[in-house]
Amino acid sequence: MSDLIVHVTVNGEARRWRVEPGDLLLDVLRREGLWGVKRGCETGECGACAVLLDGEPINSCLMFAAQADGRELLTIEGVADGEKLHPVQEAFLDHGAVQCGYCTPAMVLCAKELLERSPKPTEAEVREALSGVLCRCTGYKKPVEAILAAAAAAPKTRGKTARRRRAAR
Amino acid sequence: MFDRIRAFHRPTSVAQALRLFEAERRRGGRGRWVAGGTDLVVQRERTLRWLVDLTCLPLGYVRRVRGGWAIGATTHMAEIEHSKTLLALANGILAEAAGTCGSRQIRNMATIGGNLANASPACDLAPPLLALDASVVIAGRGGRRTVPLDRFFRGVNRTALNGGLLVEIRVPAPPKGKAAWSYQKLGRLQSDIAVVNASAGVVLDERGFCTRARIALGAVAPTPLRARRAEALLEGRRLDGAAIDAAADQAAAEAKPVTDVRGTAEYRRAMCRVLVSRALEECARRVGRSL
Repeated sequence: MSDLIVHVTVNGEARRWRVEPGDLLLDVLRREGLWGVKRGCETGECGACAVLLDGEPINSCLMFAAQADGRELLTIEGVADGEKLHPVQEAFLDHGAVQCGYCTPAMVLCAKELLERSPKPTEAEVREALSGVLCRCTGYKKPVEAILAAAAAAPKTRGKTARRRRAAR
Repeated sequence: MFDRIRAFHRPTSVAQALRLFEAERRRGGRGRWVAGGTDLVVQRERTLRWLVDLTCLPLGYVRRVRGGWAIGATTHMAEIEHSKTLLALANGILAEAAGTCGSRQIRNMATIGGNLANASPACDLAPPLLALDASVVIAGRGGRRTVPLDRFFRGVNRTALNGGLLVEIRVPAPPKGKAAWSYQKLGRLQSDIAVVNASAGVVLDERGFCTRARIALGAVAPTPLRARRAEALLEGRRLDGAAIDAAADQAAAEAKPVTDVRGTAEYRRAMCRVLVSRALEECARRVGRSL
């Protein structure tokens, strides 16, 4: 079993991981202490392990750690700016959108990505963006309200970076 | 879970990928190609010893080519779903089908090549690609070969790849004339694995007669398949309610469904008839024929 070296940017910091060839991204992230990446179904259905890969949500339970080489990852640990919460996190608190909290990191990441690509989403778009994250408390209404409120409160300039990223492809 | 894997190769060209795959195969032990991982990881084959990763290959693209379109094998479902080129092709059925392939996270990972090479009977992209007469390009030791998609699937999770690498999907330009396509999927949610799926495509002459018909079915047999006798019933006929009923009955008769957790064989056959009928009705509406 020869280990692999993976160079990856996690929450803005360059990291060098030593991984085994069969390691999954979820396992390595949790081993690195990023416990906000949740282990749920491990079959890609619940979405609790979602992280942003180069800005787009993926399920880390289905990706090999070796495939992250050269990529940029964002987990819930990197969403707040120091003590200052992201507007989506603030909105989740204000709207009581957190119950047991297990799906919350993934929901916040998916919501953040949605608002970057579509700053004023419809309710249907919000529900679509969350459809890959299953809440075991079955509380979807308040997260949807929270995300719509965060979008309504945001200044109009957001969304530019996401559009630029897409246009570059 | 994959603690027996001893090598994870990340080639950057098709030639290098084939060399690595062949070298590993000679060394022995079970190994596979991997791209998005959305099927492979879930299948949890603990005996895997090596993987050749395809995500560094330059195979993520959608292009207009002479005589049609080419889609690189590692193009993500999300890219197909939003591709302006594919939204404009055949009433956007490829984009529509890709948009139903799991959640957003899955669609950001899963690739069109993986969707086909996994050869699930319920494969989301197979019915629309079969309805469009698509082929797959397979790279192997002896060079490249092109296999029509209806000869690619050999059984549940079995294909004509034979150790080769699926590199591209080719969609020929449809014949001239009034044409329309439709994709239909039945699942508990749109993003679920299909209980039944189906696609239809028709080309009509100026009198409203069908000059070409395609009916493709998924999740009702060991492989996605074309309902050729149902297609033959439509060709040369006017696309009206009676013709659609006859074709839908015939397509359901050509299905060979099984019972599993998602549905019984009886239910699948009945729903296959409904989806074919809806697909043909949608085609008729799209070419502007009232039924």
